[in-house]
Amino acid sequence: MVAPDAVSEDDIDKLIIPDNLPDEPTFKAYIEAKVYDKEGYIIDYRRQPMKSLTQYFLALMSIPLIGTYSGGSSSSSTGLLTNVLSLPSNLSEGNGANIIWTWSIQLGSGTQTFSPTLTSLAAPILNGTSSGQLVYSTMAVSYTGSSVFVLSAASNNTSGTVNVTEIGLTCTVYIQYWSSSSTYSTTSYSYLLSYDTFSTTISIPAGGMATFQIVISFTG
Amino acid sequence: MMVGKGISDISVKVPEDVHDIGKHIPTLGVYLTAIVRDSQGRVIHIHRQRSHSPTANFMGLFLPLNWYITTGQAFSLTNTSNSTCSYNPGLNQNAYCIVYPSNAYNFQTYLVMIQVGSGTQSNPFNAYSLASPIANGSGTGQLVYGTPSVSNTATVSGSSAYFVIEQTFSNQTSSTINITEVGIITNVQTSCTNCNSSTSCGNLLVWYDVLSSAISVPAGGSLTIAYTFTVNP
Repeated sequence: MVAPDAVSEDDIDKLIIPDNLPDEPTFKAYIEAKVYDKEGYIIDYRRQPMKSLTQYFLALMSIPLIGTYSGGSSSSSTGLLTNVLSLPSNLSEGNGANIIWTWSIQLGSGTQTFSPTLTSLAAPILNGTSSGQLVYSTMAVSYTGSSVFVLSAASNNTSGTVNVTEIGLTCTVYIQYWSSSSTYSTTSYSYLLSYDTFSTTISIPAGGMATFQIVISFTG
Repeated sequence: MMVGKGISDISVKVPEDVHDIGKHIPTLGVYLTAIVRDSQGRVIHIHRQRSHSPTANFMGLFLPLNWYITTGQAFSLTNTSNSTCSYNPGLNQNAYCIVYPSNAYNFQTYLVMIQVGSGTQSNPFNAYSLASPIANGSGTGQLVYGTPSVSNTATVSGSSAYFVIEQTFSNQTSSTINITEVGIITNVQTSCTNCNSSTSCGNLLVWYDVLSSAISVPAGGSLTIAYTFTVNP
């Protein structure tokens, strides 16, 4: 993006002053998990750094940064929205359209090599009471200053232990519009915003439950 | 099952070494690069620093709908004129959310500019404008603002990905101009699906940085500011 310079790379190195990069990072994030047995006692407690945001996180945060339109007189969306999130450039059937999104936490029992283009967990644990499934509770989101807290709980209502090895912050983007037939409509798109594996497997015993919290903090 | 036992049980039930198993790792990096050229177009200075500061406006626009639903609250956005706008999105036909391009009723929410200034302020999170914005023009103390540009997609390399927001400023005066602060300004409008009008929140400061040292743009020279947003740097 930066135009070519009229000096050599060696010269540029000498021109870079000051370099304050060793300062505090812009962003910190961690994952916290608490596991309770069927009596309600905490039997495991983890806290580990979140390591792996995807390109979809970048594209989502571009909305508050640069908006949805590619310019002040444009009727097309930004390249980041169309090329990364695969959202329409222009909603042809929409008379009036807007955009909003929700977040959730997805748990899984697999592992995979991270890539910023990952779209799902390796082996998502389904919502339910059958073997190997967990009952997910409603998400809670709060924020303080520049930190956002995303909390989810999952109960093991099966007769066996459920093992959790991976976790992701997921997002559903909704485009709402008023269709040409004068009806309210929505189209949804799902993304994986982050992907992490736990350093060791988290085991949720039969009748037990666990809470999972993802904290993302922009250091202001 | 009730969760009746909280954190006080941990010292009994859980070994101490599982309380925190690692240090924070920056998974998102934001960098500000400034390139200064003299009147001949030669690079005379490159400044690179970490960018630190989303503003409260950014946070309000970035929060997911979950927060708005569970709290029942609206978020008060403050524009660069210090006027407020209530942002309260929802998932229904009457909810006012950020407008998305369609075949009618386009009310643009878009990047207005990277703005530069000659002031500083100590609480970037609460900033709603630059402390002392430098006006667009060729009068004394002014800079000619170029058109901002944004990467058309995220560039992926290994486990990392990034995009760049960039803008060039020209000093067409006869004196050096000093830059000490930089911000990203976005115009935000909200509308509902069956509305043919919008609520304009105006120009919002969504990202703000005070430079670690002043940047001097010589007479006849130019300055290019590039914000790089990267995951897993």
